[in-house]
Amino acid sequence: MVKITTCFSILIFLCLPAVDAGTLEEVRERGILRCGIVESSPGFSSIDDSGQRFGFDIDHCKTISAAVFGEIRIEYIPVTPHTAFTLLQSGGIDIFPDGATWSFVRDVALGLDYTGVYLYAGQGFLVRKDAGVSSVKDLDGATICIAQGTTLEQNIADYFDNHGMTYTPVTFADIDKGLQAYHADRCDAFTNERLSTAGRIINWPGRDEHVILDEVISKEPFGALVRQDDPRWRDIALWSFNVRFAAEELGISQENVDDVRKNSQNTETQRLLGVHGGFGEKLGLSNDWAYHIIKLVGNYADMWERNFTPLGLERGLNASWKEGGLHSALPFR
Amino acid sequence: MMKRDIVYQVVLLAIIAGVAALIISATQTNLARLNVDSSIDFLWKRAGFEIGQKLIPYSADSTIAHAFIVALLNTLLLACTAIVCASFLGSIIGLARLSDNWLVARLAAVYIEIFRNIPSLLQIFFWYFVALRALPRTDESIEFFNCVFLNNRGLFLPAINPEQGWSWLAAALIFAWAAVYFLKKRERRQSPESGKTWTPGSWSLLIPAVIVSAGILLADVSVQTPQETRFGYSGGIVLMPEFLSLVVGLSMYNATYIGEIVRSGFTSIPRGQTEAADSLGLPRHLTIRLVLFPQALRVIIPPLTTVYLNLFKSTSLAAAIAYPEVVSVFVGTVNNLVGQPVFIMAMTMVVYVFISLCIALFLNWHNRKIALTVAS
Repeated sequence: MVKITTCFSILIFLCLPAVDAGTLEEVRERGILRCGIVESSPGFSSIDDSGQRFGFDIDHCKTISAAVFGEIRIEYIPVTPHTAFTLLQSGGIDIFPDGATWSFVRDVALGLDYTGVYLYAGQGFLVRKDAGVSSVKDLDGATICIAQGTTLEQNIADYFDNHGMTYTPVTFADIDKGLQAYHADRCDAFTNERLSTAGRIINWPGRDEHVILDEVISKEPFGALVRQDDPRWRDIALWSFNVRFAAEELGISQENVDDVRKNSQNTETQRLLGVHGGFGEKLGLSNDWAYHIIKLVGNYADMWERNFTPLGLERGLNASWKEGGLHSALPFR
Repeated sequence: MMKRDIVYQVVLLAIIAGVAALIISATQTNLARLNVDSSIDFLWKRAGFEIGQKLIPYSADSTIAHAFIVALLNTLLLACTAIVCASFLGSIIGLARLSDNWLVARLAAVYIEIFRNIPSLLQIFFWYFVALRALPRTDESIEFFNCVFLNNRGLFLPAINPEQGWSWLAAALIFAWAAVYFLKKRERRQSPESGKTWTPGSWSLLIPAVIVSAGILLADVSVQTPQETRFGYSGGIVLMPEFLSLVVGLSMYNATYIGEIVRSGFTSIPRGQTEAADSLGLPRHLTIRLVLFPQALRVIIPPLTTVYLNLFKSTSLAAAIAYPEVVSVFVGTVNNLVGQPVFIMAMTMVVYVFISLCIALFLNWHNRKIALTVAS
């Protein structure tokens, strides 16, 4: 399946005519946003009983759609980490919001651009409690299940090399296959991004026999990706994502946004919500773009509570800087 | 050939060349426009990732080209092992279908009908997850003679380590093989006179045995048995569960086709051949070995080539269960690191084509060698 989609995306490369219309105009004309998502990743991207998609990644798609259209008009295009970059490069999707680590090579060599960090994640380890492993350093000589598709494989090689430790990797193309193999005791540990692992194992039978180590061996700052050849579109994505941090800092939430818009005397709030300042127009959007984002998606805290709190995940590094986290809104002025 | 035919062919060729040129130039332009790095320098960069099974020394510090070789060797190891096992199993199944014993023949037929009709990817998943669940944990390993261990991390075998390097051992094996070859040739020449068929005499076994022992002594061979560690076993040779289940899955699937090919080979021989051999008083096993098998082989080899090629290509299914072969490592891991799908796909495909052609060439050559030569 992976191969078929990869070949397909190569075909797109081959057939693509060289056009240079702006992405915003293209999306407007099409009347729908093409958003690349990775399917079945609890917390990030799932489908509810009524067939509606929801999750942290889905909220990013909605954020952009709200900014551009003022409503939710999204075509979700399922991708794998294998195909996402190619599909984005070739114009098959407009944005790829699924947790792709912002690293030098990805930013510089792939013809893609990041739009800020929306999640501070880290590579962690899932181990069996009875294995007597309390720290990553106890894993010397262990067999470790890994999934391809990110920087995970290099991180773990670097970490074990730096600490003079050895391991045997069992590398799966698919995260769920890797988890199944770990569950069947093929490996002593499973390594992946901690939040996503936590989401995937929440319904495991015998979840209590496993523990995710607190330690992380890498920083994985996640950001959404857009094509490098359209700076305007990148600005739209970056500032749309930033609206959610700003809203949290300014105390604007999905619930009170109408109220605040009517009554707030704070000038930054007024500029953000389009009461004055005309900031939306400067991006080629309507002036109430940020209002629509907050109304339809909410601020960052709303997103966290909706998607990650049910999985029992604390905000930790992802709290606002005012509460000791790393997220800090860029100023709207 | 008529002039018009030539014109048609030239035009066709021109169209194909034109389309190919258009595709290549469009791809290059698009890659350049999108600022995608498309040089092949990445092959000489540090790989930075580990590989679970390596037949030659490799570490994260090796180059990506080196990782490609490691993965390719894993593909070849899997293909060779599966081809040998499938041929062996397939021959048995094929002969069993021809058996006079009703039960054996029916069982073989049932086997073929079941395993031929299940997609091989599904069979591989089945054997993999069955194997993982069925095999014991490392602390309850099945032991043989305290040096072979089987558990859900794989099959652990003792390894042979020549302290003085492999060259002595390799030389001894080559000499021993040459000795057997010449002894056999000499014996064959003499057999029409002596009236005996070639049977290994005690001295013709002794000579190669002495040569091999000398090689072992000179190479100072030590045996390394797997040692129990905190996480299972280490040292010695490890056959991963992924490898084992792939060999089982691919062999059982392809053996169904080989079985049918073997059966067709034997049934294609006129009944008169068996009757003639019987009337000469040849025992059953010699009838099969000397009369039926060489003739059946001529019918078997051409379709067998197709099965071997299919088996070789389907080793790429291994990417689904974490066996580090060339598709998994190169199209998976490396492509994720460097993001150059066009070149990486092309390179992998070229390698597959090349090896497939080598297999086909070898079998065609063998086929010509054994073909009936008719006196002209």
